[in-house]
Amino acid sequence: MRDLFTRFVLASAMALTCVAAPPDPAASPDYAALTRAYEALKIKNYDGAIAAFLDAVKAAPGHTATRKDLAYTYLKIGEADAARDQFGEAMKINPADFHVALEFAFLCFESKDDAITYKATARRIFNRIRESGDTVSRATAEQAFQNIDEPLRTGIARWTQALATNDSLSAHEELASLGEQRDELELAAEHYLKAWHLLPARKSLLLDLGRVRKNLNQLEEANAALLAASRGGEPRVAERARELLPERYPFVYEFRRALALDPQNAELHRELAYLLMRMGEKGEARTQEAEDEFRAITETNPDDLLSAAQLGFLYLSRKDTIRAMPLLQRVLAGSDEELASHVRTALHMPAKVYANALHTTGESGTEARVMAEKSLKAGYLKDALKYLKLAHDADPVDFSVMLKMAWAYNMLREDGVAMRWFALARKSPDSAISEEAEKAWETLRPSQARVRTTAWMFPFYSSRWKDVFSYGQIKTEFRIDRLPFRPYLSTRFVGDLRRTTPGAYAGALPQNLSESSFILAFGVASSKPWHGITEWAEAGSAIGYLSHHMLPDYRGGASWARSRGKGIGSETPGFFYETTADGVFVSRFNNDFLAYSQNRAGWTLAPIQLVWNANITTDAKHQYWANFVETGPGIRFHMAAMPPSLLFSFSVMRGVYLINTGNPRRPNFNDFRAGLWYALTR
Amino acid sequence: MHSPVRISALLLIAAVVPASATVGYSVIANDPGPWPQILSSVGFTAEPATTAGIYVARPGTPASPHWPAKLESGAVLVLEGESPLAAAFGFRSTKQTVQLASMQDVHEPKLPLILQKPIEISRFSIPEKARVFTKERWTGAPTLAGFRQGKGAVLWVAMSPGQLGYERFPYILHALADLGVQLPFRDTRLWAFFDYSYRTRVDLDYFAARWRKAGISALHVASWHFYDSDPERDAYLKRLIEACHREGILVYAWVELPHVSEKFWSDHPEWREKTAVLQDAHLDWRKLMNLTNRDCFRTVSLGVQNLIGRFDWDGVNLAELYFESLEGASNPARFTPFNDTVRAQFREAAGFDPVEIYTTHKDAASLRQFLDFRAGLVKKMQEEWMAEIEKCRRLRPHLDIVLTHVDDRFDTGMKDAIGADAARVLPLLSTHDFTFLIEDPATVWNLGPQRYPEIARRYQPITPKPEKMAIDINVVDRYQDVYPTKQQTGTELFELVHLAAHAFPRVALYFENSILAPDLALLAAASANVNRVEHVGLKTIIDAPRGVGVTWSGGALVDGKPWPVQDDNTLWLPAGTHTIEPASQPASVRLLALNGTLRAAQITGSNKLDFAYESASRAIALLDRKPAQLEIDGLASKPDVLNAPAGHFALLLPRGQHLVSLTAE
Repeated sequence: MRDLFTRFVLASAMALTCVAAPPDPAASPDYAALTRAYEALKIKNYDGAIAAFLDAVKAAPGHTATRKDLAYTYLKIGEADAARDQFGEAMKINPADFHVALEFAFLCFESKDDAITYKATARRIFNRIRESGDTVSRATAEQAFQNIDEPLRTGIARWTQALATNDSLSAHEELASLGEQRDELELAAEHYLKAWHLLPARKSLLLDLGRVRKNLNQLEEANAALLAASRGGEPRVAERARELLPERYPFVYEFRRALALDPQNAELHRELAYLLMRMGEKGEARTQEAEDEFRAITETNPDDLLSAAQLGFLYLSRKDTIRAMPLLQRVLAGSDEELASHVRTALHMPAKVYANALHTTGESGTEARVMAEKSLKAGYLKDALKYLKLAHDADPVDFSVMLKMAWAYNMLREDGVAMRWFALARKSPDSAISEEAEKAWETLRPSQARVRTTAWMFPFYSSRWKDVFSYGQIKTEFRIDRLPFRPYLSTRFVGDLRRTTPGAYAGALPQNLSESSFILAFGVASSKPWHGITEWAEAGSAIGYLSHHMLPDYRGGASWARSRGKGIGSETPGFFYETTADGVFVSRFNNDFLAYSQNRAGWTLAPIQLVWNANITTDAKHQYWANFVETGPGIRFHMAAMPPSLLFSFSVMRGVYLINTGNPRRPNFNDFRAGLWYALTR
Repeated sequence: MHSPVRISALLLIAAVVPASATVGYSVIANDPGPWPQILSSVGFTAEPATTAGIYVARPGTPASPHWPAKLESGAVLVLEGESPLAAAFGFRSTKQTVQLASMQDVHEPKLPLILQKPIEISRFSIPEKARVFTKERWTGAPTLAGFRQGKGAVLWVAMSPGQLGYERFPYILHALADLGVQLPFRDTRLWAFFDYSYRTRVDLDYFAARWRKAGISALHVASWHFYDSDPERDAYLKRLIEACHREGILVYAWVELPHVSEKFWSDHPEWREKTAVLQDAHLDWRKLMNLTNRDCFRTVSLGVQNLIGRFDWDGVNLAELYFESLEGASNPARFTPFNDTVRAQFREAAGFDPVEIYTTHKDAASLRQFLDFRAGLVKKMQEEWMAEIEKCRRLRPHLDIVLTHVDDRFDTGMKDAIGADAARVLPLLSTHDFTFLIEDPATVWNLGPQRYPEIARRYQPITPKPEKMAIDINVVDRYQDVYPTKQQTGTELFELVHLAAHAFPRVALYFENSILAPDLALLAAASANVNRVEHVGLKTIIDAPRGVGVTWSGGALVDGKPWPVQDDNTLWLPAGTHTIEPASQPASVRLLALNGTLRAAQITGSNKLDFAYESASRAIALLDRKPAQLEIDGLASKPDVLNAPAGHFALLLPRGQHLVSLTAE
């Protein structure tokens, strides 16, 4: 073949110079370009000549002589593929130009890319010319054809024989390749398929199979092979397969055919499933089929998390959580963090941060801080903590992160840990951070002390009763590690000013307003609030300071409090509300159980709060004094110079008893109250 | 960190530093990413931002008002991805995204650039004046684009080029060259394999000039096409050799025994090699002969001597003289040698026919026995043929000898697969004068460029003469699943060549035809080996362990003396550390290039030039003036001069180490 080609080449070597005569200007729209091209050729400026020839081709695309000279110029600089393409175009324009056809065929035979296809093309052209060309061309083509065909024929025989003794991949590949070059396409298809069955991971064999079947005009089979090659294999093969596939998106039945050929192709299953899902969304009732596809993947390949997630979502969408959750849990436990994040979102779980992912970006600190802020704002405290830890790792001396960490722990009621972070943040060179941390630390410190003593008092004047009442308590708590409750010793005072001598106004005041007693007791209270509820119980003695009697006293109950908005002393004005609820058993009230709900809402204009009060009290024994509602405006203030926990309050209340049996007074009442609240912790 | 203040300060300082002979680069980021690999692969050296000429701005780099002025004065700015600086030059991300799986580049538009893993990126809008070099295949979204600005240029790339520097954008360096960036160094020590089948119709003078520009100093020509005399082919080869010599390129006969020639195969079916299934060993393109048959050996030996005698070769490359195939004994249809001679010899030594390793002697010990016997045969063949080629030196004393041998140190499976055993052959370097060219086995073609230093390290303990070692890089489609191109091209090729040229004294490329045309222009730069570049005022200090060409125009002083070894664009330095500074005029006689190792050179008169060189084969000096008188080692000699079409003169010089004194006409 090489010798023949050389002789042919040498015979045609004069071709370029033969046609290099100046064209006729009147007849040639490409005259100017051709003139430039031949001038460039004279001084061996091949690049210039090629540019000019291309201009000429543009001006007169049907001018085969220009294409031929362009091709010969390409050959001068070794651009054989470009030359081949120009000869090919010239051959299409004039199939009877056997010289051009031979040039094209020889160059096809030499082609490196798509070698098999081009070699087969070369053989076909030589075959055509040896049967229909002119005398000289027939002879050349005949010999070229034989030179190509004979090795193919013997090669096929040799590899067929080799296969008879040893079934090997390379033998099938060789046989398929030789068959395709010799246009024995059925043989080629058979052995590409067999080779692929021996090595299914090599998708290029499916590409070869698809190409051959396309040439056999078996388009459906071809598309099946090409579709299988285009998904889930080597990207280069996929790209080539897509070139050969129709431009439109494949039909469902084409996916099915491809899967019948390549049933292990998970990506193909998945894409089909997505297609079916989309069709299902358009009302084509394909969702069940999509589920089937995803199920097929997850059963054969449990590590395919994408399919597991998708199938889980499908189950979830039809509320089949029993089937969905194991799949979604698999994704959550898997290594695909992005996918797990989608699952968390779908399950309304807080977002998760991935330390490694953040660290590899090199922007962990900033990104984590931003994410922490978002999580805090959204109330995802645990996630906020994770981000804050990352931010802290990225910049261990960022005191603002420490402070946020402290607040996050504080909000999670982990005050012990919170205190450690507040303590660190107190060392910030930024005074705003250090002061805030110091304040918080001071506030929390007593709660974390082994022994803590608190005292509070609430004296107030009531216009209704024209008396000053006072309630107070001194309590010493003992914190014992890990115990869910804290023991304490308590001294309560419940009394009033007017009734300071025995007998005075006896029976005029409801018994809950003033017990005229000191109550000494031992009690226990829960260490940490549970959903904001603190339980407590105490047993002791009430010592009447009027009667001087000692009575056993047992109390217990639960209290719950919540406040939101701008508290008094806030730097900016704003809305606030406070609500407390208490349930208390008191033995001395005939073992009654009382429930209170006290609510305040209003506007804070530091240092003043404008308040609207609404309270309700009820009890288990249906006593009139323990069943009333009251409401009315009020004002509270706290001056900066005052101790932090000192608060003055004034309110005007309008109330009504809900039970009037035994009530010696009118069912409605008005009351002006002025009082102060003070608390102290040590 | 990207501090705008810091960058602006650096730019202001840089603006007052004079331009130097070489261009360095500076990456404006704490993490330089792959840019040092990319830029150093063609000889750019890292420099402080104050003296650099190329700046790489990674994602997020802030804009600075000083850049436009800097570009006007010649700086080149490379922008990676999205940044305020990129936006300032008009490269802005849009809300659209592009699924990037495959790209096209203007330098090789038909070559698909495939990403191993598709990536979704923002689609960028680019300034109208920008030229798009690379785009996404299906949507046309630009991914590599740039424009010239003043004397400088801006090049933008949509995202990181990848960890190795070539996974996504192989043609970044080509784009820089298109934008006017000059490469700082070049070398001309490359060898390239050549097969005339692919070049029958080319203009040989055009190609010879192109090879020289690509840094190719020798062609190893597939000689089996010329084994049998043929007037037309012989004339072609003679024209090729003359064209190469005129351009200062040596030509070696590449012998691929036991393949002899097509005709020899047809004429002597009785001497054909056999595979283990006892078929004729026609494997791929090679038609293997049984050289253990003494009649065959003698006939081939005479044929080879005839081949060498008929043409003006500069050397002989005895390549791949071992058995087939890379699949070893696992594929009997490709496993050789199973000719009658070998079977008889082995039967006599081992007591059984080697074909029985697939039938009655399937045990590992029997196979091992045959594999060791086979490796011994290979060594014997190699020694025998080395001696045969050495005989040819009696006729042609300037002949160099090369033994191309597949690596079996890095890929240790080679010894059993094809019988190659470097440890048995390398000691021959002590007694024979030849170059040991290590062939990179196909099994490791997918591994990165770092394998070359590792290969060099593994051969060091068994190599008596490290200076005689060479490495072959196969620039071909790889059978492995590799990205972005099947064949090495662009930055990947340059990294391979660059690291190989650092690790070995000589680098060969297989083969000339497979190197893509756009890569040729940058190959010489990739093969340059420079340890250090320093600028002191107008002086540039360069340390190059094997000598180097420095991009230079105008006259020059080297180490303070007028320097005669330069052409219009390149100044050639001998090995070692040298100082270059501008001179008012170029030398009156110039040694434009030397195919050989330059040791020293000096101007000795208005038209006189002395230079010393060393060469394992004939050397060729290209001169800008025709030599009238010539002395070699003090003895008058008749100049053997070839006139080149480009107007220079090629002076053929003897093999060995010599001092040349010449007087120009």
